[in-house]
Amino acid sequence: MTGAGRGARIGAGREPATPAARLPNAPLVPTGWHTIGPFFPRTFFQVGDNDLARLSAEAAPTARGERIRLIGHVLEEGAQPCVNAVLEAWQADAAGRFRHPHDPEAHLADPDFLGWGRAWTDAEGRYEFRTVMPGGYRDRAGPRAPHVNIAVLASGIMRRLCTTVFFPDFAAANAADPVLCCLPEPLRPLLVARPEPDAEGERVFRFDLLLRGAPQEETPFFLD
Amino acid sequence: MTTDLPDLFHPIDEATQPQVPIEGYRNTVLRTPRRAPFRRPVTRSELTGPLDLSAKLRPGDDNLALAGPGRVAIGQLIHVSGRVLDEDGRPVTGAIVEIWQANAAGRYFNPIDTREAPLDPNFVGNGRCRTDADGRFGFFTIKPGAYPVPDSGRWWRPPHIHFSVLGPGSLARLVTQMYFPGEPLNALDRLILSIPDTAAQQQLVARQVPPTEVEGEWLGFVHDMVLRGRHATPPLP
Repeated sequence: MTGAGRGARIGAGREPATPAARLPNAPLVPTGWHTIGPFFPRTFFQVGDNDLARLSAEAAPTARGERIRLIGHVLEEGAQPCVNAVLEAWQADAAGRFRHPHDPEAHLADPDFLGWGRAWTDAEGRYEFRTVMPGGYRDRAGPRAPHVNIAVLASGIMRRLCTTVFFPDFAAANAADPVLCCLPEPLRPLLVARPEPDAEGERVFRFDLLLRGAPQEETPFFLD
Repeated sequence: MTTDLPDLFHPIDEATQPQVPIEGYRNTVLRTPRRAPFRRPVTRSELTGPLDLSAKLRPGDDNLALAGPGRVAIGQLIHVSGRVLDEDGRPVTGAIVEIWQANAAGRYFNPIDTREAPLDPNFVGNGRCRTDADGRFGFFTIKPGAYPVPDSGRWWRPPHIHFSVLGPGSLARLVTQMYFPGEPLNALDRLILSIPDTAAQQQLVARQVPPTEVEGEWLGFVHDMVLRGRHATPPLP
């Protein structure tokens, strides 16, 4: 294969890298994960990246649902701040729908809501997301309470850490949530955000993540 | 209680993924939970994810070697291309591919990197593009230098490029590093060696395109990556 300038397809047609012993129709092996390391570029972050309710930096946040903020600290062993961690969040819209083929009501999902955002932690380990209060939904595994899925990336985290945040408004729904119920009962409150004083008329919830700590304090994570 | 849950995820082979802790890398201890992760049922929020992030994470920054008109970075000019595939070998179209790397002297343009290796005023070292219909991406850049990891007992990172790939859906996410073929430091690198399976280690090493096949004054490298695909996301009944 040859190329003739910028954007040329150099080396097109290479066979995928796979173990030599792979059977003809066996699935390819997913590429091994690595840490983001200490130097994930801050220049990757634009204003609004941490706002799940905006489709882009310029777009206005969706008008559907209650605007809320999700703030907290990411802490490592010894409750020291985890600096330059990257958090990625994903959630349903205010009515509990996803713009994705796996949602039978995807056509009804809020077209002005992205549901994804990315935030990084500052020198104190603080992060902030802006979003709307997610809706719950019925799933074959059971009724899901309103929640936000969060993945944590940082230097030394070789594979992302996945957890889920719930809200104190929905105690009954939380008690029935099939994912929260995977945890032993004493650990469940660790995944429920706590109310904080309002900011600029928006409700604020705090969710601190302790990546490594005492059993009764360490944030529960889920298999990815 | 967690053992009766349906195991909906196609189990990922642990031998093909890094194992921690890693000697001389203290953060792999400080940031690794003591408790094993809980298995959860896979519901809609775990199966779905953003289908297209190109409005949020803007692509179009695929030339790291040129900071502006006449501002060429110092180093060996290279082109790194490849395909993003799912586990069935199908191309992943519209994936966001982000890269970042050290300059030719092994220093990052990042305030946290305070080593004495020189900065290159014409090299920031990060880029972002979007895969085409064949799942293909490509970047012009310079070959990064090796660098010693502070306080690690003389562990040097081999030249490498960081990759962050965001495919359609939360499961189609990959953060990894690409290495260069024939680098003596590869065999000593503690991150590569943290993956037990040697074939999986080799999957992280790019292939050099024979120079006779490159029509331009750069060296070509090809690197494909495999995201979790259909096997991780069974259709809902």
